[in-house]
Amino acid sequence: MMSWRTLVSRLAPLLACLGLLGIWQIGALILDTDSFPTAIDALRAVPSILTDKESLINILASLRRMAIGFGVGVGLSIPLGLMMGRSRAVASFFNPLLMITYPVPKAALMPIIMLWLGVGDLAKTLVIFLGVSLPVVFHSFQGARAVEEKMLWSGAAMGLSAGQRMLRIVLPSALPEILIGCRTGLVLALITMITSEMIARQSGAGNILFNALDMGQYDTVFAMIIIVGAMGIGLDAAFEQLRKRLVRWSEPRFDLPLSFS
Amino acid sequence: MKGRVLTSDVLLGIAPIALMIAVWQALISFGYAPATLLPPPGQVFMRLVRQLGNNEYQQDIAATLFRLFAGFAIAVVLGVGIGLAAAASPAVNAVVRPIVRVLAPLPKVALYPALLLLLGFGHESKITLVVADALFPILLSTYYGASMVEQKLIWSAMAAGTPPRQILFKVVLPAAMPSVLTGCRIGLVISCIVVFLAEMITSTDGLGHVLVTAARTFRAVDMFVPLITISLLGLILNGLLQWLRSYLLRGFPEV
Amino acid sequence: MIEISGVSQVFQTSGRQSHLALSNISLTIQDGAFVSILGPSGCGKSTLLYIVGGFVAPSQGTTRVKGKAITGPGPDRGPVFQEFALFPWKSVLGNVMYGPRQQGVSSAEAEAQSRQLIEMVGLKGFEHFYPKELSGGMKQRVALARTLAYHPAVLLMDEPFGALDAHTRTRLQNDLLNIWERDRKTVLFVTHSVEEAVFLSDKVVVMTRSPGRIKRIIDIDLPRPRRRAELLLDPHYQKYVVDIEGMIDDTSEDELHP
Repeated sequence: MMSWRTLVSRLAPLLACLGLLGIWQIGALILDTDSFPTAIDALRAVPSILTDKESLINILASLRRMAIGFGVGVGLSIPLGLMMGRSRAVASFFNPLLMITYPVPKAALMPIIMLWLGVGDLAKTLVIFLGVSLPVVFHSFQGARAVEEKMLWSGAAMGLSAGQRMLRIVLPSALPEILIGCRTGLVLALITMITSEMIARQSGAGNILFNALDMGQYDTVFAMIIIVGAMGIGLDAAFEQLRKRLVRWSEPRFDLPLSFS
Repeated sequence: MKGRVLTSDVLLGIAPIALMIAVWQALISFGYAPATLLPPPGQVFMRLVRQLGNNEYQQDIAATLFRLFAGFAIAVVLGVGIGLAAAASPAVNAVVRPIVRVLAPLPKVALYPALLLLLGFGHESKITLVVADALFPILLSTYYGASMVEQKLIWSAMAAGTPPRQILFKVVLPAAMPSVLTGCRIGLVISCIVVFLAEMITSTDGLGHVLVTAARTFRAVDMFVPLITISLLGLILNGLLQWLRSYLLRGFPEV
Repeated sequence: MIEISGVSQVFQTSGRQSHLALSNISLTIQDGAFVSILGPSGCGKSTLLYIVGGFVAPSQGTTRVKGKAITGPGPDRGPVFQEFALFPWKSVLGNVMYGPRQQGVSSAEAEAQSRQLIEMVGLKGFEHFYPKELSGGMKQRVALARTLAYHPAVLLMDEPFGALDAHTRTRLQNDLLNIWERDRKTVLFVTHSVEEAVFLSDKVVVMTRSPGRIKRIIDIDLPRPRRRAELLLDPHYQKYVVDIEGMIDDTSEDELHP
């Protein structure tokens, strides 16, 4: 039997969504301009986008690029970060490079990469990969660096080789921190995807947004914003569920992402 | 001994950057990449130096910096304010928490078209986008820091006669300062990135606009220059904040 | 005079369970007395101190200081915590000056007073150090000075020397007694060390473990000023320690047979 209190706290994010949509609705009614449709109008336009074949293909292609970019990014960044965390030489080799590339807007590389690789999937996926990598490397690095030295000594005493220690001690102990990096990386992958498509203006969800803007289909603009927003919230919530399962043993941490770090 | 370790660290750190530039130069020298696609590093550097002295380019930098600072400043005020309020009052917390939970993972850049429609193509829409993106890391780390303040620190101040309404600014905020500044640092880098992207998507001035104009006319050299400029700006601002941080947190352990 | 009458404290633990931490505590402490509260960990002795401090409201009962009911913290009761709780962003001088400045003392006056106190606790020359640069014993000296600076009538000491090594602990006990001999403030001192309680106190309150009740109140009739070297050889002191340790042992036995 769930008490009234826990019910409210479970539903709080949903209530917040409804509240924000309500504010939007009221704001739009007060402003009353064509360029700012009400929340209800925008929501009504959502199904028509999702049933339109071309838009759907566009959005799914975006998501596919994002999945590949994220997957490759995570796959390469975690080992790099872990090695940086356990070896001073590796860390001092890569750290300045990462520091310099940190404030570079990854999506801004889009025009240059397009110049080299054309406007195909490769360029867009590469940009997403670059966007995902930094936070994952950084958090894996932090996680691996914080591993208790004595735990590794115990491992060595039990006869684990260096590689086994990395896989069986460093990786699991750094996992909570790594997953925080992955969560940030996931949100960043979505952001980079949308932004690069907005800049390239070729295809994808970001392009639909700006095409609709140019053609004055304001309902579609706001409906797309809802779709992209829902993707972000949905992906984040799904990842958070996965994270909770994987690191049930770890200390309960702050449950909101300090994204971008 | 310690000095030698540090020097070798620095040398190791310079190595990949030097290597990158060497490969870059080699690609051109050995004819793998035409200069139209990948201009030689020397040329990019010369152009950067010349552009930095150019009045028009300086105005673009100024436009970018203005949006960046305006957005960042608003984000700091809002983020620290809301974060403190949420940590201090359960009622505010109950409202703010779910809203933040919904809005924090939202890709804010998707709101940009809506901001353009509502606020126009000028400074306002870009500044608002910067605020929307930089706000959450600052808000969250302020909230986190403020709710982690040691209870006995607050009790000590109360016993010394601090009235309850002053506790927030005399104890909670200073005690949460390390966390607040971490959030600000993240927010600052995000501001740099976002302002540049917004200018690339639609603008008539600013560094992002310089990049897009160069891209339209396939002038590769001019595409690298604004990118390097924004990274340098990011590094300089980050350095300044780091300096401010070590000054403000001089009393705290392990800065 | 501190009057604690019929104080009970119930904590809500997870779900609908509740935990009785203090049960019906009544205790009167005369002005200028040094009273220790002694008990096994988890007996609620710190909670009792927090209630007198006004940091925690009791579930039942009342506490009065000089006839006035306690409704919250106030500068008449100064706490010294085991965790020091110094403001990390303030120097030693800044920490000690905090109280007087809150009381509206002028900056120059507060600084003069604070420098004097810092000298008294033996930290002359460390005024501009930050807490992170000090050892544990030095931090606790600063915390004591910070509390003394706003002239509380009552000192509430919550296992103040519990986190210090044995040597530092002994030195601080001696110094605390020396400072106390000067103005004889009322001190309520929570500890789990029997020797410490007997060495310092006029009265030792022995508590039982959960729920915390007062088991015995023992008057320590030893001459003052006390010298550690003499006291350790004094059969009266030894008898107090052995007797009280016996009482604590009893309460520990109770825990084993709930």
